[in-house]
Amino acid sequence: MIASIPSASVLGVRGCPVTVEVHVGDGLPGYHMVGMPDTACRESRDRVRAALASCDFKWPSRSITVNLAPTSQRKSGAGLDLAIAIGVLVASEQLPVADVAGHAFLGELGLDGTLRSVPGVAPMVDSLDAIDVVVPVENAREAQIAARGMPRIAADLATVVTCLVGARAWEPVPLSSHSDEAPALLPDLSDVRGQPVARRALEIAAAGGHHMLLIGSPGSGKTMLAQRLPGLLPPLDRDDSLETTMVHSAAGLRLPPGGLIRHPPFRAPHHTTSVVAMVGGGSHQLRPGEVSLATNGVLFMDELGEFARSALEGLREPLEEGVIRVARAAARATMPARFLLVAATNPCPCGGGPPGSCQCDDHARGRYLRRLSGPLADRFDLRVVVHRPAVDELLGADGGEPSASVRHRVVAARAVALERAGKVNAALSPDDLDEFAPLAAGARTVLRNEIERERLTGRGYHRIRRVARTIADLSDPGEPIVTLGHVELALAMRASLRGPAITDSRWIA
Amino acid sequence: MGADLRTGALAALAGLDLVTTARLRMLLAHHEPGEALAVAAGRCRPHPAVEPMMTPELRRAWALSAAQREHGEWAARCARVGVGAITLADEAFPEVLRSDPQPPAVLFFRGDWTALDVRRVGIVGTRNATGPGCDFAATLGRQLAEQGVTVVSGLAKGIDGAAHRGVLRADGRRAVGVVANGLDSPYPRVHRELWNAVAEGGLLLSEWPPGTEPEKFRFPLRNRIIAGLSELLVVVESRERGGSLTTAREALERGVDVMAVPGSINNRAAAGTNQLIRDGATPVTEVADILLALGLDHRRSHPTAFDSRPLPRGAEALVLDRCRADPSTLDTIVAELGFSITDAAMTLARLERSGWVRESGGWFEEVGPWA
Repeated sequence: MIASIPSASVLGVRGCPVTVEVHVGDGLPGYHMVGMPDTACRESRDRVRAALASCDFKWPSRSITVNLAPTSQRKSGAGLDLAIAIGVLVASEQLPVADVAGHAFLGELGLDGTLRSVPGVAPMVDSLDAIDVVVPVENAREAQIAARGMPRIAADLATVVTCLVGARAWEPVPLSSHSDEAPALLPDLSDVRGQPVARRALEIAAAGGHHMLLIGSPGSGKTMLAQRLPGLLPPLDRDDSLETTMVHSAAGLRLPPGGLIRHPPFRAPHHTTSVVAMVGGGSHQLRPGEVSLATNGVLFMDELGEFARSALEGLREPLEEGVIRVARAAARATMPARFLLVAATNPCPCGGGPPGSCQCDDHARGRYLRRLSGPLADRFDLRVVVHRPAVDELLGADGGEPSASVRHRVVAARAVALERAGKVNAALSPDDLDEFAPLAAGARTVLRNEIERERLTGRGYHRIRRVARTIADLSDPGEPIVTLGHVELALAMRASLRGPAITDSRWIA
Repeated sequence: MGADLRTGALAALAGLDLVTTARLRMLLAHHEPGEALAVAAGRCRPHPAVEPMMTPELRRAWALSAAQREHGEWAARCARVGVGAITLADEAFPEVLRSDPQPPAVLFFRGDWTALDVRRVGIVGTRNATGPGCDFAATLGRQLAEQGVTVVSGLAKGIDGAAHRGVLRADGRRAVGVVANGLDSPYPRVHRELWNAVAEGGLLLSEWPPGTEPEKFRFPLRNRIIAGLSELLVVVESRERGGSLTTAREALERGVDVMAVPGSINNRAAAGTNQLIRDGATPVTEVADILLALGLDHRRSHPTAFDSRPLPRGAEALVLDRCRADPSTLDTIVAELGFSITDAAMTLARLERSGWVRESGGWFEEVGPWA
């Protein structure tokens, strides 16, 4: 007899329906699995066998063939265990076919029959839309987000069978008693003392979606500042929330108690992170990488110069197109990768500081700064130099403005921008700029001056205008024209990367 | 022996393995350069006074390297670059170095010895100099040259280079540069034009023949020559440790007075000079201090160069004063002067555009009047 049980697996951030076909027939007793399973998948035989025995079912001593369709796709992980077990039961007529009709099964089996959680349940359930899905208890919330109706949960195999045959009712999914993750958990901007320019830069980056580079000596507070950026961003809207939750689920990360991720994620990969972990991939499953996990949130790269060149190259596609396409010989996946990039770096290998305190010779400094050039250098709309706060500021009594009030302004500015152009200011094209960010005469003169002095490239010109537009939205919302003050502030936030070396060449008489 | 071949012999000698100033001095005291080279090569018997110095190891090393240094070849090489050589035996050898505790055995030169015939002041300082420090060094160089005083320095990055640039703006004949490598290869590379300008207008000196690399140990040795050639040494900027402090010590050993430019307590590059002043060096805040120490009439008026920059007023003047006191950042202006961020950015930008401040790496420094 052949049993055909619906299940699913994950590829990238999407679920792929998998049909588990089990055939129990004549022939020498044996178990054969086909359909490109990986090692974990193959091991399911032992798990399923023990689980069936623990639940007092019989393991048929006949020829069992399990086919995981479609064959063209690799299956990995233990998520198909439950489906295989049910298939064996149905095929060996220990469970009536009628009882499993209209159900799909996801879950890993323990040797005692316990049903264990698997990663990626949300996208998997999403791909099985017309059917009731049976999932482990820990995955209840994820399944609920994606399912059209109520998911079926169970703690072990025996329960699943009992509920299927109708001897027991399915357990209801516990209502979430937690409110969504408290915003108070996010670090607050009031912890930052002094540093008015850096705080303003954070506000600008949050309001306009501008990528930001923080340049400063060790101990200047770059990491602290970057960690406070998510607290300034508004909560995710419904679509973005769902997208982010799907990605995190596909990666196997824990979701908040409420199920949905409501706040912009903050990812801070260490500079030793491999390219694959950064960008996504892997040989079988094509798991999402850091760039995808940071979607709709912030990707923070501390010590930018220490990242491998290949990791930095991998950021090019996400920054240009907002997606990352990963391809392997057997499969390919397109995953979302739209984030706010914040990076931090020292101005030179020794750490820098006020003029005269740098210990590096020009060669070492040049080499260090060259690592930052290339695909990323031009992406940063904001390049802010962060200095150690003075002793008085550090020990002073009052903290700075708290995140809540800054967020207020950020949300207002974002709303203005969205209403005006339908997108955040960082996404404005040069044509959009002419339409939505006209310059006052004084501002235009200053910019022309900068271009003539070769301190601003064409690309730089557009970036300044975008940032100036955001600055205008923050300080004078409703004002259509971008004025000189806005442009000057935008220019001040594009520090040169050259460092305190006096370039002597122009001096020779 | 023709002048060229003599130079070639000296160049070949000075570049031998295991040769030191003391050994060269001993050799040249008793032999003509050509003969000395033959002695080193083992072709000739050394003078009895020189004999004890010639250990078997030394003989071997010299024979080997002399075999590869043919004086005709070196003569051509020196002629190509315009390098000459003099020893203690020559009349042109600077008097003041004859009586030095450690005089050089040979000096390779490009340029004109008359540069040493006037009053001489050494100006040295750190390679990690600040903008204002370099500006002041250049100003001193220019003003001293205008008064007909020669400036001796090391042509290093930072203060040394700035001082000579100032000199060249006034009178190229007043520049004397002493370097730590061969005269054929400007070091550091960015100073190539400066080297050539000093060699053409003034005098360029080295203890070592063309082709010598600027190895670290040569710099302290070169510093003693700078000290030896100066009547006064002015240290413009130095950290708590540095080559210019070595030069200061060499100067004191030779009875040459040391003067130093005081600096802000927040400026690391002023730590060494402030310490020198604590230890008794006379402070220098303008060229008149140096001219006074030299005994020159400092009341002779020198025209101040016309400063074409528009004078800052109001907010700009406040910000400029702050940058003058110490290099400032945007944060400093906002926090200490109470400006709004936008106003601070606009004021600093205006000052930068009118040439009053210079920005690098987020720090704004005052730009002095053009040296």
